[in-house]
Amino acid sequence: MLALRDLQSAFSRALLEGADELLAGEIADDGLTGASRLQIYRTHVFTTLTDVLKDAYPVVCRLVDERFFAYAADHFIRRHLPGSPCLLEYGAAVPEFLAAFPPCQDLAYLPDVARLEWAMNRAAHAEDAPAIDPAALGDLSADDAGRLVLQFHPSLSLLESPWPVDHIWRAHQPGADPAVPVDLAAGGACLEVCRRHDDVTFRRLDPATHALRTALWRGATLESAALAALARDPALDLAAALHALLDEGIVTGFDVPPSQRR
Amino acid sequence: MSTVADEMRCWPAWAGIGLRSPHVAEIIATRPAIPWLEVHAENYMAGGPALGRLLGIRRDYPVSIHGVGLSLGSAEGPDPSHLRRLESLIHQLEPCLVSEHLSWSVFGGVYLNHLLPLPYTEETLDRVSEHVIVVQDRLGRQVLIENPSSYLRFRSSTIPEPELLAELVQRTGCGLLFDVNNLYVNSRNFDFDPDPYLDALPAAHVGEIHLAGHAVNDADGREILIDDHGSRVAEPVWRLYTRALERLGPVPTLVEWDTDVPILDVLLDEAHTADRLLGTAKDGGWHARAA
Repeated sequence: MLALRDLQSAFSRALLEGADELLAGEIADDGLTGASRLQIYRTHVFTTLTDVLKDAYPVVCRLVDERFFAYAADHFIRRHLPGSPCLLEYGAAVPEFLAAFPPCQDLAYLPDVARLEWAMNRAAHAEDAPAIDPAALGDLSADDAGRLVLQFHPSLSLLESPWPVDHIWRAHQPGADPAVPVDLAAGGACLEVCRRHDDVTFRRLDPATHALRTALWRGATLESAALAALARDPALDLAAALHALLDEGIVTGFDVPPSQRR
Repeated sequence: MSTVADEMRCWPAWAGIGLRSPHVAEIIATRPAIPWLEVHAENYMAGGPALGRLLGIRRDYPVSIHGVGLSLGSAEGPDPSHLRRLESLIHQLEPCLVSEHLSWSVFGGVYLNHLLPLPYTEETLDRVSEHVIVVQDRLGRQVLIENPSSYLRFRSSTIPEPELLAELVQRTGCGLLFDVNNLYVNSRNFDFDPDPYLDALPAAHVGEIHLAGHAVNDADGREILIDDHGSRVAEPVWRLYTRALERLGPVPTLVEWDTDVPILDVLLDEAHTADRLLGTAKDGGWHARAA
């Protein structure tokens, strides 16, 4: 008879690795073998976690079909078991997993579709935060403005893909016309995902605006974000791009760290 | 610590339903007459708009918090960070009741997403009692503990489940959440008569009853009932519920539905059936709990 800790260690290894022999002699027969009884638990654990992933990645599931999704999910679950019972937070590692999963190598766009879906999940559950009044930035000196860093709404994500992942996503919504093909050669997409009121939305940005926002979102100063944006498109109207950003209501705070220069 | 009977004075002995996400918008829009609602704690720990909507619902309905992830039966004990999140949720929601399970689901920091069975031994009783005390002290309130459904039993078990639950109540001051469907499922899966189990439950400490549907599966030629919460309450479970009310008195009852969740009216219809039986229990003068 195993002590409780050893029993639970053996039980979890039996569930996850099929090491049923570790529990030999521990389970009462009751008219059914211990292995068959363990299988009831194993089936529940894997099917419910697969359902959680399916809910989080419905477009990926439609792209690969349910059977393949369940197969991939089984591999994913074994490698990335949940560390918390809050399963809304489970599955963040799916995009990286798909990128490295050999059977998916022909679907080069799949990890980016998954990234878009995860960004949407994050946006759906993110906390709310009030936007700042753009006028609050009105009296910054030119020198201070270069060191400006911004804080963004928790639901915001910026992502860029060499594939038209937004078109792929829309073409695989319930009710979408399956006869309309997605042109995979249509080029990439620079996307901004966020929640407005209760609706999670995404939209395309021009590459320079996207570069500006991405750099700021990652914590860069306005000066280095502007350089990144202008490198993408020297013709970008920086002042207009900044005004548009502030007017959108996704900037929730700002800071001007002290100058490093003497 | 107060007994369940004390706390129940502010608690309606009528049938509520488990609040599931497909029904949230309809409940907010139509405010149907439901005595109370229960939510799974883990679905709201991320905060955000889901919690915001729930807090709005809470203004109009008593809400009970039912945890599925605390893993009170884990040898390693409840995860302190999960307990903090539960505490924060309770602080915001001010629920009427908080409940968890006599089971485990975490080992080595991995969450196995199932209410897994425990050996019913002195060691288990010691560990679970310690963990319930830790949780109740941290939350500053009583927790109800639910009898789980099960598909296997351990040879090492020496304590009958209702006796273990009664002892847990004695040692920790916790209350009990009696799941009628779980008892029925177990009685069929392990071929025992559920009535002596009912008699052995410490009636005065049962603060809530759960009802749900189950599936009937075939496992290697043997019939196994699966507690999937995916259908209406089965006829024999209603009969067992009636016998439970005779012994326990009119206890607030909750209808759960988690798989293939139907339209709200189906849940309300199930709750009305439970209400009729609760009404009979009240009118019939069953005063088991006052005795």
